Amino acid sequence: MRESIIMKIHYGTALGAVALVAVHILMRLSQKFSDSLQYQNVLANYHFLPYALMLEVILVLLSVHGFNGLRVILLELKQGATYERAINYGSIAAMAILIAYGSRTILMAGMGIS
Amino acid sequence: MAERVANREGIKGMANPTRYGLERVAYWLQRISGLGLLAYLIGHIYETSTILNGKIAWNNMLSLTETPGGHLVLVLVIGMCVFHTGNGIRLMISEGGKGVGKPGQPEYPYRASSLNSKQRLCIWVSIALAALAMMYGAGVLFGD
Repeated sequence: MRESIIMKIHYGTALGAVALVAVHILMRLSQKFSDSLQYQNVLANYHFLPYALMLEVILVLLSVHGFNGLRVILLELKQGATYERAINYGSIAAMAILIAYGSRTILMAGMGIS
Repeated sequence: MAERVANREGIKGMANPTRYGLERVAYWLQRISGLGLLAYLIGHIYETSTILNGKIAWNNMLSLTETPGGHLVLVLVIGMCVFHTGNGIRLMISEGGKGVGKPGQPEYPYRASSLNSKQRLCIWVSIALAALAMMYGAGVLFGD
């Protein structure tokens, strides 16, 4: 994929994440912060489908943005065909692992499996 | 050849925020805050996954994070998040060619038109917003 397209994705994921993370934080502030972290309250968040879907979207947006940012930093540091290929595929793998692990939590908590 | 080797500072060069003015400091802060936020994201996803192990495991995790130290980390995360967002939006607009001035002949004293007052103001505003958000966050977290 062309770097210009990757950077557009980078900026798009950033703007999307800013909007949704703001909603995520405001949900924490809708009640006393420590109360919002109580077991039943957090579980209720996962059981509320629109919120769980929003968490999944945030997870994807931030993982893509974060690991692409790390990839850019690492490619700025050093260049070379093998190195660049390793960084590119490594970033995609790390991104996929984080998304899979986070999705597992959202899915299992949402369905009440624990 | 010796000059080429001397110029290859690698990670030490990248980690040095000095020598090139405020834009270099902003570049450095953008990268540091980005890495910090990625580390927090990974930690946060691991932290929230403990809810699958039941109430006791969740409360044990909270006893680790709901401490003055944990709150201090959160305040730092708020600051990194706000600066990264503000400065990131500045970079997006600059990359679109807005607010970077017009290219021209290099004339003494060689002031780069891209390092203009608008850009500097945006960097300072990002830093100020981050500081304000950190103060608000500290008020919420430590005021609980």
